[in-house]
Amino acid sequence: MSTTITTTPIPREVVNWDILDEIVSLDEDNPDFSRNLIEQFLEQASTTFAQIDAELQGKRDLAQLASLGHFLRGSSAALGLQRIAWACERIQNLGRKREGAADPAAPLSDDFYADQIASALAQARVEFDVARQELSKFYGTLL
Amino acid sequence: MSEEIKTAQKAVSNDFVRKLFKILEAGEYANIICWTETGDSFVVLDTNEFTTKILPQHFKHSNFASFVRQLNKYDFHKVKRTSEQKQSSQYGEHSWEFKHPFFHVHDEMALDNIKRKSAVQKKIMLDDNTVLVKQGSEGSGIDADSATSLIFNSTVSKAKFNQLKRKVEVLEQESQHIKNENYELKLGYQKLQSRYNTMIGSFLTSKSHSERLVAKFNALTNCLSSQGFELPQEVSYNVAEPPAPKSPRNTQSPTFETMVPTNIPPQKLPSAANSGPSSGTPNEVVDHPILRAGFHVLLVEDDSICIQLCSKFLMKYGCSVEVVTDGLSAISTLEKFRYDLVLMDIVMPNLDGATATSIVRSFDNHTPIIAMTGNIEDQDLVTYLQHGMNDILAKPFTRDDLHSMLIRYLRNRVPLSEQRGEVAPKDPGSAELIQEDAVSNLISTEPQMKKQHI
Repeated sequence: MSTTITTTPIPREVVNWDILDEIVSLDEDNPDFSRNLIEQFLEQASTTFAQIDAELQGKRDLAQLASLGHFLRGSSAALGLQRIAWACERIQNLGRKREGAADPAAPLSDDFYADQIASALAQARVEFDVARQELSKFYGTLL
Repeated sequence: MSEEIKTAQKAVSNDFVRKLFKILEAGEYANIICWTETGDSFVVLDTNEFTTKILPQHFKHSNFASFVRQLNKYDFHKVKRTSEQKQSSQYGEHSWEFKHPFFHVHDEMALDNIKRKSAVQKKIMLDDNTVLVKQGSEGSGIDADSATSLIFNSTVSKAKFNQLKRKVEVLEQESQHIKNENYELKLGYQKLQSRYNTMIGSFLTSKSHSERLVAKFNALTNCLSSQGFELPQEVSYNVAEPPAPKSPRNTQSPTFETMVPTNIPPQKLPSAANSGPSSGTPNEVVDHPILRAGFHVLLVEDDSICIQLCSKFLMKYGCSVEVVTDGLSAISTLEKFRYDLVLMDIVMPNLDGATATSIVRSFDNHTPIIAMTGNIEDQDLVTYLQHGMNDILAKPFTRDDLHSMLIRYLRNRVPLSEQRGEVAPKDPGSAELIQEDAVSNLISTEPQMKKQHI
């Protein structure tokens, strides 16, 4: 295996409209379908961020952190919120120690990865706020 | 009068003794049994001869011991001798001498005094009670005697016994033989059964193999003809029934013309259910070309948002959707019910999708199982396929991604529900109605699902 895993650059657009448009089109026969999903996601994301925070303050279990990152990554990507998804993927990868210098001769400490996750979480929260603004604008209501 | 009866009873009751007396008086078997010189006792000279010659002919006793027991019952006693006396005995060392105070040579009258001891004892014992009992006991004495004679009558002779014994032995042998034969037949039957089962199994696998080959072959011919190759008519091959004439409005789109089998004329549908939004993306136009409605899909996914999205897409394509949220439930559901297709998330609580699939494959080799995953590294993909998953649908996927997957595995197929004839094909309107219900159910159960996995 390679010693480092190259991270893909963060997507430029906050929302992948190719994906979200498709979901919005489903509102046709089910009004508010897409907005319902977005609202569910925003709630889910807040909860998950809080859980990641709690884990970082507490046991700092990397596997658990990776699992939380993976979880939120799935739903954010499904809704086209690609920058949040990107940040979540970083949390997942860091939790699996797949990012950074994964040199088997000089393994990095768990705390190193936990700290990295803390900064990835901060970034995810920023992306979350940006996405919420853009979506609020799109739906014409404060989400 | 009662005296007379009593005499008669006595005469009957010591029949055994009278018989013995007659034999001794006749002297026919003098070398086996005879009076002693004094005449107040008798001797059995040869017990073996006595048992074989006299007992079977004159008495109902089968052996000498039982004859002696009977003698004792009539209060005869064996005359005891010391070993020296035995050796010097004129009747031989092995002779038996018996004595009774009223049993004398030529004295028939005295025989009346010889009574069965057991009956007498009973009477004496019961004498302490009432006269009535005494009379009854006399009757019971007779009863006992007739009971013994009854037993003797119903006792089988040794010869007959041996004959029966041999018969039983023969029957036992025969039954053993039949048992063995039966066992061998059973064994043979089981062997045949297992061979039959393996054959069925291999037939089924070869069937699914050939179906897959045919699907691939058809894709190839379609591809070739779209590239402008002219193919002879015989080349096209259809195993399954022609798909339902459910094709969307705009099949004129050239890219899709190639996918529509030539024997299906494109038909227009009532547009209400399938019409895309007026502001729709160009993708809306390209709807499902040959996918029949009514496929039953199992969605295995732990995230409620993905569940709602994916099932909504599936229902748009006319599928009915069942949702379970972890690998273990997926296994138990697939054990009980059949689905046309399974969409399986990989990372899930309880059991991951790949492992769940490998377990499902131990009892179900036919249902297509598609992995839905965000991990699309090569190593992961190989793992999924090795676990028996048919394909991979990378997350996040678009409607089209999902649709082409459905086409790949369900084209030219008839939904199981229609094959079984249980569920009539739904018209788009009613299907839509059910879908709405299903979605609202999902939304209503959403908070609970969150709890499950967070």
